[in-house]
Amino acid sequence: MDKSFTERRRRELLVAACLTVAAALVPLFVKNPNVQNIMILTLMFGALSQSWNILSGYCGQISLGHALYFGLGAYTTTLLFTKFGVPPWFGMLAGGAISALIALALGYPCFRLGGHYFAIATIVIAEIGLLLIQNWEWAGAALGIEMPVRGDSWLKFQFARSKLPYFYFALALACVAWFVTWWLEDSKWGYWWRAVKDNPDAAQSLGVVVFDSKMGAAAVSAFLVAVGGSFYAMYVSYIDPGSVMGFQFSLLMALPAVLGGIGTLWGPLLGAAILIPLTELTRSYIGGSGRGVDLIVYGTLIVVIALARPEGLIGLFSRRKGASR
Amino acid sequence: MTAETIIQSLASGLLMGLLYGLIAVGLALIFGLMDVVNFAHGEFLMLAMYVTFFLFTFFAIDPLLSAPLAAAALFVLGAVVYLVIVRFAMRAKANVGMVQIFATFGLAIVMRGLAQLFFTADYRSVPNSWLGGKTVSVAGIFLPQPQLFGALVAIAAFGGLYLFINRTDFGRALEATREDPGAVALVGIDKNRVFALGWGLGAALVGLAGAIMASFFYIYPDVGASFALIAYVTVALGGFGSVFGAFAGGIVVGLVEATTALVLPPSLKSVGIYAVYLLVVFIRPRGLFGSM
Amino acid sequence: MTALLETRGVWQRFGGLVANSDVSISVGRGEIVGLIGPNGAGKSTLFNLIAGVLPPTQGSIIFDGQDVTNLPAAERCQRGVARTFQVVKSFETMTVIDNVIVGALVRNTGMREARRKAHEVLEFTGLAARADVLASDLVPAEKRRLEVARALATEPKLLLLDEVLTGLTPTEAQTGVALVRKVRDTGITVLMVEHVMEIVMPLVDRAIVLDLGKVLVEGKPADVVRDPKVISAYLGDRHAVGA
Repeated sequence: MDKSFTERRRRELLVAACLTVAAALVPLFVKNPNVQNIMILTLMFGALSQSWNILSGYCGQISLGHALYFGLGAYTTTLLFTKFGVPPWFGMLAGGAISALIALALGYPCFRLGGHYFAIATIVIAEIGLLLIQNWEWAGAALGIEMPVRGDSWLKFQFARSKLPYFYFALALACVAWFVTWWLEDSKWGYWWRAVKDNPDAAQSLGVVVFDSKMGAAAVSAFLVAVGGSFYAMYVSYIDPGSVMGFQFSLLMALPAVLGGIGTLWGPLLGAAILIPLTELTRSYIGGSGRGVDLIVYGTLIVVIALARPEGLIGLFSRRKGASR
Repeated sequence: MTAETIIQSLASGLLMGLLYGLIAVGLALIFGLMDVVNFAHGEFLMLAMYVTFFLFTFFAIDPLLSAPLAAAALFVLGAVVYLVIVRFAMRAKANVGMVQIFATFGLAIVMRGLAQLFFTADYRSVPNSWLGGKTVSVAGIFLPQPQLFGALVAIAAFGGLYLFINRTDFGRALEATREDPGAVALVGIDKNRVFALGWGLGAALVGLAGAIMASFFYIYPDVGASFALIAYVTVALGGFGSVFGAFAGGIVVGLVEATTALVLPPSLKSVGIYAVYLLVVFIRPRGLFGSM
Repeated sequence: MTALLETRGVWQRFGGLVANSDVSISVGRGEIVGLIGPNGAGKSTLFNLIAGVLPPTQGSIIFDGQDVTNLPAAERCQRGVARTFQVVKSFETMTVIDNVIVGALVRNTGMREARRKAHEVLEFTGLAARADVLASDLVPAEKRRLEVARALATEPKLLLLDEVLTGLTPTEAQTGVALVRKVRDTGITVLMVEHVMEIVMPLVDRAIVLDLGKVLVEGKPADVVRDPKVISAYLGDRHAVGA
């Protein structure tokens, strides 16, 4: 009885290891920088969505304001680097820590709110953050801020000639986000989160401290998303408030998990692997003229998947389906 | 800052607030009916503005007169959206909440794309409408006529809605369906029909708002986004599902926005609204008029 | 021997409505006690006060020699109070074993031990064959049993059962009764709320009858069912009399 469970856990690790190795080999054969760019974005959104999934998928607290943490990560790293010369590696950790702390501070009042009131509060808080940064002259205000180019260096994480370091970093990020989820899934936290999502009253009666569960999920989720934001800032080396902290971005982060399978281990990565290439391809092939066709294709896709596969595309792979009785 | 400036901005804030209430009330109505938040609500508004714009450009119909036409067009749209998308989203066996959010969000993106494709991304406006740019002076306070007209329409619409819900058979069916959809089926009310009409009505109300907005606001494919956010906050502030809450929420939002603009730079005027929303729900987790 | 659970002069008011007035009961270690009464007698309210869903308006609740009046539900569970819900509250998207693991985590910090404990409890409650089924796929009687299993996994001293036998077929109810006896034989004290007397009377050591928010009668089941006060309280409630 225990054996099948342990086996499943081992198999998941094995599959993840194989996928990582396979992904790591791809850029050795695919040299096209545009394709490499799409792969980097796919891995990044996979990681972001996986992190969002911890709070919103596993713990069931739908956040539509995670752009706040992404923006915090991006801005902390960029500002520390441009204003004080702090290496981005450190900025990344600082951004993560700041985001986790802010998530805890915001969680304190917000986790008493239910359903839509909570979701709207997350939107509104991210929006306040956006407006404050847009009006903060020192941080570049609405125009944004650019990372000064200091030549290729691992310490400063800048590489003008090759995208490969960024690719491997994004791959590592996706691996970390996946592994953290995998590890937490079979921990007290993982069980607490799912219990809180399914039925907070019952959870409480079984000794689950509901509030602490939500706070824990929020902190982990915010930390990882902020690291993603730091990476994005280093990768594009120019950020502005609207593109890293806007409401749209919060939804874009949630989308892969929702389409792939919310609250599942593989859903976010699967969703990202389908959605991001599709978005980028429609944008570059039919959207270049700003005619809106890319939006129509993209939007239709979201509607169709949401309606046809409410449990996410991962349902197509699920072996447990139908075998339950 | 003189007392006059303060009164002046509070007065315009009040007018704008009534209009916000009108934009938001459709959202509140639909949510109250079936617990669905329409994430394409802003795009409904955008479409109503374009309808008004084209009626003006091609047929020289003033926004004053085209408002009912915009409302009718949006009524059809709302009912169709329910029948084609939302009806199926509600049947989802898993993640019903997320499915609804993203089905309507996907629709919003499609609508924006269609607007870009057919109407281009250019900023449009309705120049020289009957009321556009005109003001009226009441006791030394200048009130812009389109907003004043909009506020009056909003009050009339809320009054009409109140009578409609309380005095007509369909209104009662609406109330009954929102209270217990299972039971109404037993007495022979077709739930889908009521929901479709509810969506139509909700969309018609935002259509009315859009027609008024068109006479003093730029019209472009993304115009809905900023108003949608205000509409969500308005509805949540008033208490989800409460029609009266949307009315009161709109007024609060309008006044808070005007007050914030007095003390903070204009680019920060929304911060006041958001802060007030948070303050209200931290004290009353179900908004001002939401049932506890 | 001190009682495991005591309520001392407990009041609960909801606005103008008095759901419990001056309720003092005690449950001894190793007992099976039935808490019964007609609809609206205040059984569920008292049950929730003991489980820690909300604190009483007045009075105190003593568990295992300690005042737990103001402790939240989760903390009471850690001290050894476990409960089931009248309307079952399974974790629907989780498997049966995962449902039980949530309970087992109260006393087991390691996942391995929690999982082992959960399997033990499933064995005990006869759900072992359904371990990997989603809770949402269980039939109603199994869901009831899962409620009990989850609660047992927390290794409680006191198990609160909220109408676990109501609405079951006679065979299912028999299995349920046997399970409750088995639970008591492991040394766990049981307090069960039931609306229908005939189901619980053969099972309990002692019955407490609530009516209109007050303790009406308490004593041996055989005496309680014959008490004229109890009969008149239940009178008109055709489902209940007739033990």
